[in-house]
Amino acid sequence: MEGLTVKAFGMIAEKLPEQEFEFPKKKDTEELLNSLYNEYPDLKELDFSLAVNQQLIQQNTSLEGNEEIALLPPFSGG
Amino acid sequence: MSRFSRQTILPDFGKEGQEKLSRARVLVVGAGGLGCPVLLHLAAAGVGTIGIVDGDVISESNLNRQTLFGHQHTGKPKAAIAAEILKQKYPDLNFEVFSDFLNTNNALEIISSFDVIVDGTDNFGTRYLVNDACVLLNKPLVMGAIYKYEGQLMIFNFGDVALNYRDIYPNPPGENQIPNCAETGVLGVLPGIIGTLQASEVIKILSEVGKVLSGKILFFNLKNTSFYEVAIQHNPKGRENLPKSEKYFKNRNYNINCGIAEGINWEKALDWTRNMNNSILLDIREPGEKPFFEKEYLSKKPMGEIRNNPESLSAYENILLFCASGQRSSQLAKELKQQFPEKKIFSVEGGILDPASPLNSNEYDT
Repeated sequence: MEGLTVKAFGMIAEKLPEQEFEFPKKKDTEELLNSLYNEYPDLKELDFSLAVNQQLIQQNTSLEGNEEIALLPPFSGG
Repeated sequence: MSRFSRQTILPDFGKEGQEKLSRARVLVVGAGGLGCPVLLHLAAAGVGTIGIVDGDVISESNLNRQTLFGHQHTGKPKAAIAAEILKQKYPDLNFEVFSDFLNTNNALEIISSFDVIVDGTDNFGTRYLVNDACVLLNKPLVMGAIYKYEGQLMIFNFGDVALNYRDIYPNPPGENQIPNCAETGVLGVLPGIIGTLQASEVIKILSEVGKVLSGKILFFNLKNTSFYEVAIQHNPKGRENLPKSEKYFKNRNYNINCGIAEGINWEKALDWTRNMNNSILLDIREPGEKPFFEKEYLSKKPMGEIRNNPESLSAYENILLFCASGQRSSQLAKELKQQFPEKKIFSVEGGILDPASPLNSNEYDT
């Protein structure tokens, strides 16, 4: 079965039910983000970068359906 | 056997690697949870000259993670004490102490005389400031950062494609996402792990042994002991946000520390007032508000009076404001920060009513 794996870090993970979960296939990262925002509206308030298969992306990226997506917020503590 | 024999007998490190370390100058920005393990390992490894930048003083609540310091050091300046402790252990090393926070006036001058810069600061403002300064001066930057049980490690301005923090995060996050510096919990061992990784990368850069973690961001999760690596690349949007020259850098406002108004807890506020030069702890309630306090460590100036004449505070570098609950002081701190962007201006959280306040007592009725 096709499906995306979503991994979340830091403050982002606190807004989601789990740090890592499966998510239905989407055609691109924009569609994925919109679905995540719909399901977890708290995410909209947060800034984070996106990685697809451990590569940071800077613009909407098409998805085949079985990628690992990481939601990566900056950390400030020291 | 010499102090370094265990590393000089490593075939690829050797005497040459040791000489490279002993000739090197490394600057550690922030002598806190990350800075302490970085400093301990760089000094133990024999890095010849170590600069330490930190304008803060040591608090009791720092001690769970700031492993250089002990109870006897509370109230004393971090940078000077760190250098003193390390100099005692290793008298042949040189330490350069900068007991100020890094800002746009001092950053370029301080950073320019070092070979490698380590960022262990605790706020986004200074992180972007250090990043931008290192890009302008083309200095390798080893950045570590933590959040609760997780950490990040990144190496910038190093390797074939020089990347920087803005390639990952073009802009600082919004104010709602900035954890309150003093109040976010952290298990002390976490910065110990990330800081030790930072020291390891610095030693690899200097000795040219191994493969430096450049072009990547590494995440660590303490709870499940897992690492996650992400490859990064040049980001044009991030590049646009860099200051174009040293002149632009000096005029930029990096004061986004700790969110809306900078909050400080009572413990730190009292430490600062007693131990930092040019500090003032100000009761900003209006005349007539009860109870009255006469304490040697506090001064009084009502909010209205400060608003009419903010210049009356211009002689102070560190201004700590409190009111009954922390609301008015937070508002005023924000206003004063606009007036004096270079000063440290704090609102004491929770005000007089805060359980940790030394002024909180039953006689206070609201």
